[in-house]
Amino acid sequence: MGTRRTWAHLKGDRAGLVGLLIVLFFLGVAATVWLGWLGQGWSEASGGRWLTPNADHWFGTNLLGQDIFARSVYSVRTAFEIGLVVALVSTALGAGIGALAGWYADSWIDGSVMWLKGVLDAIPFYLFVAAIAYALQGQWWAMHLAMIATFWTTTARLVRAEAMKLRSHDYVRAAQAMGLTDMRIIWRHVLPNTVHILLVQATIAFVAAIKTEVILSFLGIGVQDGVSWGLMLAESTQEVLAGHFANFIAASAMLFLLVLGFNLLSDAMQDALDPRGGGA
Amino acid sequence: MREVMRPLARKLFQALLLVVGVTLISFLLMVWFGPDQTYTLIGKNATTEQIAEVRHQLGYDDPFLLRYGEYLLELVTLDLGVSNASGESVRTLLARTVPISLVLMIPGFVLGNGVGIALGLASAHRRGRRSDRLITALSVTGMSISFLVVLIAFQVLFSTPYGLDLFPVRGWRVSGWTSYLHYVTVPTLALLFVTFGYNTRFYRALFIEEIGRDHIRAARALGASESVILWKHVLKNSMVPIITRIMFSIPLVVISGSLLIESYFGIPGIGQATFEAITSGDQPVLKAVVGLTAVAFVAIQFLTELLCRRLDPRLG
Repeated sequence: MGTRRTWAHLKGDRAGLVGLLIVLFFLGVAATVWLGWLGQGWSEASGGRWLTPNADHWFGTNLLGQDIFARSVYSVRTAFEIGLVVALVSTALGAGIGALAGWYADSWIDGSVMWLKGVLDAIPFYLFVAAIAYALQGQWWAMHLAMIATFWTTTARLVRAEAMKLRSHDYVRAAQAMGLTDMRIIWRHVLPNTVHILLVQATIAFVAAIKTEVILSFLGIGVQDGVSWGLMLAESTQEVLAGHFANFIAASAMLFLLVLGFNLLSDAMQDALDPRGGGA
Repeated sequence: MREVMRPLARKLFQALLLVVGVTLISFLLMVWFGPDQTYTLIGKNATTEQIAEVRHQLGYDDPFLLRYGEYLLELVTLDLGVSNASGESVRTLLARTVPISLVLMIPGFVLGNGVGIALGLASAHRRGRRSDRLITALSVTGMSISFLVVLIAFQVLFSTPYGLDLFPVRGWRVSGWTSYLHYVTVPTLALLFVTFGYNTRFYRALFIEEIGRDHIRAARALGASESVILWKHVLKNSMVPIITRIMFSIPLVVISGSLLIESYFGIPGIGQATFEAITSGDQPVLKAVVGLTAVAFVAIQFLTELLCRRLDPRLG
């Protein structure tokens, strides 16, 4: 799976390119927030409540008179922070645990990993988050922890299967014969060969994380302070019944675009990185 | 007989290990490391003796294994204590709320899988053609829309003067079929909308794999008609993964879905009860719901295993 071939495949995939552009656009927006250029006044009540869009407030204001444009733009940063942290940590965790389980397949290590995966998969996700949030009493990272603790299992399952396959390859056996330690072989020869799985899984975890944030923030166990699309949507549940849709439209449209972009990108990457060549 | 029993006994043993795991995690999170319940139960001006007595009742001076054992016993005997918030016994609370959640969620769940199977079959059959691409594009779009957004949008569209204004905005005053349909329609449509993308995608991939198999190609070469191939061969041979998916998604859709739908529409089912327990930190309700659903999930997994073995002798 050469990088060049992968890129060629991706370039020919129009939907995938659109996805990539959307994701890069949002990353740029997040960067402007990180740099302090956009979205800084998200918490100030800078106008009357429920102003319609105008030159000062491009998307209007919410029920507290806060600027909806600033809030929805600042939420891009929140989404990327949650998405990146959860995607990177859960994928890395899944890769490490999966590689160990696959390498030592049918040993006690593998047995306990599969047991833990079964246990975590058996607890309905929102209840698991509720339990963690309850145990941690409103720590802001309770949500991150809960997502990481559950999202690694899929990556681990896929990496484990790959590691089991790689274990019997000649070059891995050769490395063993040369006296390399297990850890070194896993690091040098097993994990690099699972990159195609990890990239796709990371995009899937990113999407899952920002979608989950919305639900959890609505339930009151998500983002604790700051602003996010989930909190904006939770606010808007009050507003839509009074006929004010700006908050709802801004938050849901941006959320939808970013998730769609990642979904398209993830599908295209899955096709492009599939070692069997053909796409689905 | 021994050959039949042995893998089953192993599965049963694995299921028991999972039950230990899920109950242990719920116990650790909500009882052992959970916040101190003493002051939830007695007022601020309690005497030292009162505090000591409540702590003793709560079992805070007991060792780990004893307290875990007591939690297990509570789950097994369904003797789940009383809600901190309302004083209602948790068992009556479950008996009151679970049936509402079931009648609320079943139509959307059944329709969601039915539509997913139908669209997946159509899409797989016309793979690569325009209708397949349209269905695939719709699925990705459906998967990209948040459940909460769908709930808000459907509420505005169907239940407010800004839309069709046909159904109640929220609530659940059901006394017969008409009122049931009146209240269940919008949640059902929302659930259908949210799940059809995931279901269609899953079933399409499943059917595409099945259509590519040798026996399907052989049947086609022997001149079997397309509808016979689709209904008799493809669908029938996909029964095991279909059943597995449906069974496995029951607790996830019913519990996680009802949590959101009921707290949004104010429907007094187990989801809303759980939501209230989350916001008020009502430990007896939370630990019962988490523990029981997790155990139910393991039980469903085990039953699915048995069912699939019946359907497909190759699984042994």
